[in-house]
Amino acid sequence: MAKTEVKSEITGAVWKILVKPGDVVGVDEPVIILESMKMEIPVLAIDGGKVTEILVKEGEAVNEGQTVAIVEV
Amino acid sequence: MTTEKKEQPLNDFEERRRAALAMGGEAKLRARAEKGVLDARSRIDRLIDPGSFYESGLFGRSIMPGDEATTPADGKIAGYARIDGREVAVISNDFTVKGASSSLTNMRKIGQMRRIAAMRGLPMVWLGESSGARLPDNQGSRGMGTMLGNDPTQYQRMRETPWVSAILGYCYGSSFLYNCCSDFSVIRKGAVMAVSSPGLIELATGEKLSPEDLGGWRIHAETTGMVDMVVDTDEEALDALRKFLSYMPTHHKEMPPVRPTPAGSGEGMRTIQDLLPASRTQVYDMRKIIQRIVDNDSYFEMKARFGRVAVTALGRLAGRVVGIIANNPMVKGGTLDTDACDKIIDFLVLCDSFNIPIVMLVDTPGFLIGAEAEKRRATGKIVNFMNALQLVTVPKISVIIRKTYGQAYLNMGGGRNSDEVAAWPTAEVSFMTPAFAVTVVHGLRRGDPGFEEKLAEMEKENEVWGIASMYGVQHVIQPQETRDHLIRLLDVHQLRLSNGIGQHLMRAWPTSS
Repeated sequence: MAKTEVKSEITGAVWKILVKPGDVVGVDEPVIILESMKMEIPVLAIDGGKVTEILVKEGEAVNEGQTVAIVEV
Repeated sequence: MTTEKKEQPLNDFEERRRAALAMGGEAKLRARAEKGVLDARSRIDRLIDPGSFYESGLFGRSIMPGDEATTPADGKIAGYARIDGREVAVISNDFTVKGASSSLTNMRKIGQMRRIAAMRGLPMVWLGESSGARLPDNQGSRGMGTMLGNDPTQYQRMRETPWVSAILGYCYGSSFLYNCCSDFSVIRKGAVMAVSSPGLIELATGEKLSPEDLGGWRIHAETTGMVDMVVDTDEEALDALRKFLSYMPTHHKEMPPVRPTPAGSGEGMRTIQDLLPASRTQVYDMRKIIQRIVDNDSYFEMKARFGRVAVTALGRLAGRVVGIIANNPMVKGGTLDTDACDKIIDFLVLCDSFNIPIVMLVDTPGFLIGAEAEKRRATGKIVNFMNALQLVTVPKISVIIRKTYGQAYLNMGGGRNSDEVAAWPTAEVSFMTPAFAVTVVHGLRRGDPGFEEKLAEMEKENEVWGIASMYGVQHVIQPQETRDHLIRLLDVHQLRLSNGIGQHLMRAWPTSS
């Protein structure tokens, strides 16, 4: 089992967290939604697997490249 | 007496043939098979139409004294084969023979395949797995004088024919060089492409790296964009090469093959608008829109993990091959970045070189701006993108789905940068997003009195009817009409005066830019 980091591809604020540890996500499924550039922009799990950690809170600012969750593939 | 004289050479032939076909020996071949990795000859068999391989240079061996016996076919298997009934030229690296390292004999084989492919109009297939220049053959000034640099066109790409490459093991030396010259590249997970091996790097700089961290699939599929597709097995990689070639002509003076339209194609168009969210602040996956528009089972995405704000995919419309370039709002809202510029430029060059019309589906708030974008040479990339777009000589048809702003409007085919521009009624067209424009034009910020009124005015002005009324777009179409619209206009815009063949003004554009 390899751990992969789900990273934000854009700077923004966490608007909604869609999954919790233990949930299973598919390839390209949204993990959180950011508010950025006046749009609701999802952060997607590039690899499918089991979510083991959520590293941000709603309302928190995140930077481009920041890890927001860990998925066990 | 006469019979004996005849038999000896014939026996020699059979014995030498068996030895050449034995590759690096049973033990090495068994070890590969146990790991689930195909050998060089099995890869060819899997790739091509059964029984169609016609080998060139089976009896090639090392010229180095003492190495003849240990170099069957000299580690690079060359020949002609058929894929879907069409001739191709193939080089398959045999890692069991001296790591498929490059030598005088096997580089001659490569040169022959490249020349014949270009001269006779055959696609070129590279099955990569090689350790680099062979030593001591290339060592010392005599070695360098004998081996390297004797072919002044070795890395020249004029895109006479499509080149495809699979990275199927450690790819140093010639395998990375020809991969990076190719039009399509697939990597098998666990394979590696790099300039040199971790071992040599550690000797030279002391840096310790795993092969995967140096040049594994994630690096090349997600960071460098040097490969177009990632797969799990050798078999899937070879299938991907076949599939890619099914969209290509065999050479640049030919049109891509036309296929019958699969039953049920276009049925999803009736409800395509349901894929678009009601709110302009919500995003959606453009790939689902494209898949509804193109013929069933014809969607073939390239570089899906790189520059993901843009989608580049081959597909068919009523059986004819098209190249689709689209923004994907699902990633960064569709904001174009420098990786997307590189990806789109590569795809424009591919389509124009092989007579494939281009369809652009547009929904982007513009180019990503900021210090990081500037450091990544955004200015130069945007201009290269425009230059490539304007050098395209195949038909270009664009459809504005939703947002198109500023410079990105031009890059995505707005104005005269497409042969025809259509827009869905949901399109919004302007120089910049209205919320920022209210500040720039009226000096008002969100929360200031009058801001919301001015914003509503500007949003209204961005509706498609203004540009349609002055023929800035030629068509406003309902979403469900998009497939039929494209099929009809691609028919109108066929290159009749040159029998479907473009001018290929970008034939020498750098590969892997």
